[in-house]
Amino acid sequence: MKNNVTKDEWVAMYREIGLDEKKMKQWHQLFEARHPDGHQGFLEWLRIPKKEIDHIRAASR
Amino acid sequence: MIAAQGRRLAGPLRGYFRRMKTLAISQLARTVGLSRSTLLYYDRIGLLKPSGRTGSGYRYYSEQSYGRLKRIRHFREAGLTLNEIREVLQSGGKPGVKLLDKRMQETAASIVDLKNQQRILAAMRRRIATSGSSAPVDKELWVQMLQAAGMNRRARKLWHTEFERRAPAAHDEFLMSLGIPREEVIQIRRWSRGETKNPEV
Repeated sequence: MKNNVTKDEWVAMYREIGLDEKKMKQWHQLFEARHPDGHQGFLEWLRIPKKEIDHIRAASR
Repeated sequence: MIAAQGRRLAGPLRGYFRRMKTLAISQLARTVGLSRSTLLYYDRIGLLKPSGRTGSGYRYYSEQSYGRLKRIRHFREAGLTLNEIREVLQSGGKPGVKLLDKRMQETAASIVDLKNQQRILAAMRRRIATSGSSAPVDKELWVQMLQAAGMNRRARKLWHTEFERRAPAAHDEFLMSLGIPREEVIQIRRWSRGETKNPEV
């Protein structure tokens, strides 16, 4: 059993429980604004490549 | 008296008492591994009086005192207080059931305390172990962010349920990375599987 999920799986999970794109984007913005280190750490935990992390974070500002 | 008790003593000391009859305070202290000041204190509180004083005022201890001291030490090892020991020795030398039960309860309480300390230390240790490699996010922050995204308790439960169903090992690892103690992680996962009612998350 693998002990990590990918970004796609995470997104799929969020969709399943009713978080739409808009909500997710809002969530990233909040995370980035309030806890930038936490945001970074979480994205790293999802094993998202560094370049993509930078992109996501920039888009969340 | 000394000769009669001598039979119960270990080798070298028995010979010693046969020859010398008494020990000076520092000799006795060394023999039982206590400090001289402890023996002075025992004298002061009336727990262990010396057998007598020499002409120049030095305390000396007989083989009988030595026997008494060994019993005192044994009771100390069982955690009895000096007062309790004094009472036990004054009333026949055998501790009562009530006293023993009380001590048993106290030790049980201490074990619970120590286990709790162990749990807290382990949680602190885990935080250090995971802080370098994974998310610098803790449970509180995470819940706060989920709430900010409009996830209420029901939605969060749903999320846990999904996470547990789709990727149980990743769910486990994620919860651990939030610095949540092991037992709580297990609880949360059980709750996610609908096995327990535990609205803690």
